[in-house]
Amino acid sequence: MKNRSAFYILLFLLSFMIPSSLICAEEGKIVVMNPRGIQPEIRKIPMAKRPATLDNKTVYIVDTKYPNTKPFVEELYAALKTKYPKTTWVLKEKFGGYMDDDPALWKEIKEKASGAIVLVGH
Amino acid sequence: MRFQELASTTAFKKGIPNLRIHYTPHPITDRPAELCREYVAGNDPVSGKPMLEEIFSGLTMPLSAIDAKAGFLEREPRPRFFPADTPENLMEFFYNQGYTDGNPIILPTEEKVKEMLNATSHQPDEWVGQMRPSPPHEAWYYTVEMVAVNAVMAGAKPEYFPVILAVASKGATSMISSTSSFARMVVVNGPIVKEIGMNTGIGAMGPVNRANSTIGRSWTLISKNLGNSGKPGETYLGSQGNQLNYNNICFPENEEGLPKGWEPLHVQKGFDKSESVVSVFSGWSLNDIAWYSPLPQHEVIRGWLEHFFSFGVTQATLILDPIVAADVASKGYNTKNAFAKYLIEKTGTPGWLYWSENRDNLKKAKEGIEPFAGWLKRGEDAVVPVSRYMGRRMGGSGLLATTENNESITSIHIVVTGGGTNTFWSGGDFGYIGSTSVDFWR
Repeated sequence: MKNRSAFYILLFLLSFMIPSSLICAEEGKIVVMNPRGIQPEIRKIPMAKRPATLDNKTVYIVDTKYPNTKPFVEELYAALKTKYPKTTWVLKEKFGGYMDDDPALWKEIKEKASGAIVLVGH
Repeated sequence: MRFQELASTTAFKKGIPNLRIHYTPHPITDRPAELCREYVAGNDPVSGKPMLEEIFSGLTMPLSAIDAKAGFLEREPRPRFFPADTPENLMEFFYNQGYTDGNPIILPTEEKVKEMLNATSHQPDEWVGQMRPSPPHEAWYYTVEMVAVNAVMAGAKPEYFPVILAVASKGATSMISSTSSFARMVVVNGPIVKEIGMNTGIGAMGPVNRANSTIGRSWTLISKNLGNSGKPGETYLGSQGNQLNYNNICFPENEEGLPKGWEPLHVQKGFDKSESVVSVFSGWSLNDIAWYSPLPQHEVIRGWLEHFFSFGVTQATLILDPIVAADVASKGYNTKNAFAKYLIEKTGTPGWLYWSENRDNLKKAKEGIEPFAGWLKRGEDAVVPVSRYMGRRMGGSGLLATTENNESITSIHIVVTGGGTNTFWSGGDFGYIGSTSVDFWR
């Protein structure tokens, strides 16, 4: 990871040594500079293995509490309970507002559940 | 689907490109339970398949080999230069790539960027900061040279560059991703204003002066190109957009027009008067007030503030013409803070707004509990003597009669600009983000 970052930084710094005049422009054409910034690296997160069945398993429904979306959350909860009664559905409100992280809840889900549905309302 | 691109690109940027996302009809906020029941029983509008079955299969369908793999995701390469082309084609290319604000730009040749870079002592490869469209989004990073490229595109002169670098160093995007179409404002103070010929006089806030215009425009190009902002559907969801984003209300304070005892904004923020400083604000809208009345200006402003309503209701910024500032000062408000304190203490909240945001207090009022019952007795629409500019939400205990300290004054900011040709002023819901030195970037 460290070596990879160092390589990108080196590549970026070396790019300052190449003047536009070296990028041959034909007559009537010009060379211009890139206005974009540097994107960060993205580390890929492997997805959690899926169970073959949810019978006798627990799944959390996480309400992120986007304003005035409670009726939808409750309807989804009720519909899943009715359609898939062999699964235990647990409805939980996330801590704080919809932009706040809730590590305690994520930990609880990892410990107690086989999966989670996170609702991001709007 | 309005949010499909946002959801899928966010999942990618968080490192889970194949995250299983299912969609509902939009919006779900403020919809009755019966309609929500129909949504849940219906189809996912993106896949066209039954929503519940889609959700269930997302939880049970086996992973592909790629889904289970760790590593790094590929990002698009960033060449320092683009391949040679005609100016016309490049202009179209920049527009089509979303690098502009829709207006023509100055193409950033290496020569023009070098001229810009000569206006600062900082090295081209020095990091200036990082910026993101809003907290959940990824931040991009940028150097002095990258800021210079955008300053050239905006049409800025090299002498404006330290101001533009200072704005960029704040790391605040001018195009927040919110659906609510935020606006931003930048106020410049100190000797740099005269040095680079910014306009503090007639038309200070209008499309008149090159420095005022292009410094403000630079901020939006920087936000789009260096701050990963402003891409509709992905990093920008502002439903109607905001025309203030074209220039971000960039203007200098008319320090010479300040009444005696009124400090310039940057001095209020702890800088020396001799320093050059940019201050940035965030809000949504401005009202331009042109109203003649027998009332003194400070009372007109107080009355407007009491009934002003916008997305943000707990902070305000007033932009006064020097004539208005002088009128206010002549009534005994010898400092900006004194005037702000008066406004906070004497401004109530319209009943419809107060009671809708304080349902518990409405209940108490109906049970006869004071002071709420007394306020309600005047009528549900009557002004309630609780300031919404106390620096806390209206649910707080901010009774006007008990306000004796200055802690809440920062919720109302006052800036003076304009040519003194009439008693006009602007007011809006802008809150202060922060100030930073321009001199550091010289």
